[in-house]
Amino acid sequence: MLALLKIEWLKIKKYPAFWWMLGIVALTYPGINTITYYGYLKATTGKEVTNNIAKMLLGNPFAFPETWHSVAYFSSFFILLPSIVVIMLVTNEYTFRTHRQNIIDGWSRNQFITSKLFDVLIVAVVATLVYILVALFFGFYADPNSTSFWADQLQYIPLFLLQSFAQLSIAFLLGYLVKKAFIALGIFLFYYLIIENIAVGYARFKLNDIGRFLPFEISDRLIPAPAFFSRFGKDAKASYDHAIHLIPEHILYTILLTAGIWWICYAVHKKRDL
Amino acid sequence: MQPVLTLNGITKSYGSIQALKNVSFEVPEGAVFGLLGPNGSGKTTMLSIILDILKSDSGSFAWFGKPGSPETRKQIGSLLETPNFYHYLSAVDNLKITEAISGRGDSADIDRVLEIVKLTERKKSRFSTYSLGMKQRLAIGAALLGDPQVLVFDEPTNGLDPVGIAEIRELIKLLAKRGKTIIMASHLLDEVEKVCDHVAILKRGSLLTAGPVDEVLANEDIVEVSATDTAQLLSVLQSFPGYSHIKEDGKLIQLFLPVGTARLEDVNRFCFEKGITLNLLTAKKKSLETKFFELTND
Repeated sequence: MLALLKIEWLKIKKYPAFWWMLGIVALTYPGINTITYYGYLKATTGKEVTNNIAKMLLGNPFAFPETWHSVAYFSSFFILLPSIVVIMLVTNEYTFRTHRQNIIDGWSRNQFITSKLFDVLIVAVVATLVYILVALFFGFYADPNSTSFWADQLQYIPLFLLQSFAQLSIAFLLGYLVKKAFIALGIFLFYYLIIENIAVGYARFKLNDIGRFLPFEISDRLIPAPAFFSRFGKDAKASYDHAIHLIPEHILYTILLTAGIWWICYAVHKKRDL
Repeated sequence: MQPVLTLNGITKSYGSIQALKNVSFEVPEGAVFGLLGPNGSGKTTMLSIILDILKSDSGSFAWFGKPGSPETRKQIGSLLETPNFYHYLSAVDNLKITEAISGRGDSADIDRVLEIVKLTERKKSRFSTYSLGMKQRLAIGAALLGDPQVLVFDEPTNGLDPVGIAEIRELIKLLAKRGKTIIMASHLLDEVEKVCDHVAILKRGSLLTAGPVDEVLANEDIVEVSATDTAQLLSVLQSFPGYSHIKEDGKLIQLFLPVGTARLEDVNRFCFEKGITLNLLTAKKKSLETKFFELTND
């Protein structure tokens, strides 16, 4: 196992796209959170009464422990970037025909898929590490007095990791089955950005929210919109509580879906001509 | 002695096209085994099957008497079809991956094989910057890593210049001399004839013949003769006892006889007694090319 991980690292560590991804992630995660943070500040400073009400109602979403939740939520929009790398890492093997060479050189077919699983895991862990750093930074920066709460809500770290791994696994499956980088990317972007959002939105109002079982939405619901989005009005509060309440259920669905995806990859790879 | 490789009734089809039909043969230890066949005859398909890249529909194969497995593949240095490497990595980094996966070789050995295939100067350049011939050399180098006992080469001289081709030919001869078993697919008959001691000929997925080169080639004796008057010689030879057929090739006449029946003295005496003085008389071995065309032409 360790040997597989080492070999994947040999492949990844000099892959420029991986470092570009890391660089862009390292910019976008702080970026999106900074924008939100200043949006929050703008809404809560000033002398007008509404601002003070806002401040009272919102609390500081970027202070500990809420920072773990808020930063996870906003950063998770950008799973797109690591997804591209994951798709490239698998389609590269086809382009370079190294998926054959690895077997010729002595890997079993299962080992090949396991090595790719490690790729996805590596990318998910890297994204999670960036998230942790950004969340910590905002926690300390937004309200130094909140640091005593730093350890509350740490559950968002494993949730973020699970969500990233689950969604990257979908990207992997696409790349693995489609084989062509640009087609896989096209399908991925079109589905992820457009189709599923429309379907989830439609289902929320018309179909008893059945959209929560769509591939990305299953794990999207691991990290619901943070509390400060929903402190206005009674219904919002209820739906926030409901979303939190559903997290354990969605953990189970996510694990099942992800396990299914990898099961498919192992099963297909065992049989297919390379 | 245990054969290095045994194939037993390997059959494979792609949809309606039968790529291999019930192919069986053995590769003895220490052989330089040439796998011949026109384009699309199933050579690469066959090599892909024994390297577990493709799954055969039926039949089986064994390496060293055991069914193919990752463990057996690790002991075999292989170049299949194209050089397959990570384009963004250098030669050294690519070979590190080969080394890590196969367990063959170490960093000193990487330098050794790069020296053999003459890539030492460019070993730190990215694979994507290599010329076709350099890529092919790197693939051969990767196969040589760890000095394996068995080597599989699919069209090893693809993309190489004449000097490179000669070098690889010498390399293969050298490896053979050191007792390596080499399985080599090629459509360059000349190349196979120069280095191989065993051949198998494939045509549209069927195995036409397999065995030691001498046996495959020697199913007929050929006597080549010529005289000043070719027409007269031809008419005289037509009464020569025991020949199978005669071929006229310009000023030369080839007389085909069953294996072991050609005695040059008899031919000489026969012609002389009929009043013809030969100006050329030689026993000829059939070239692999002739044999190949004979077998693969309809």
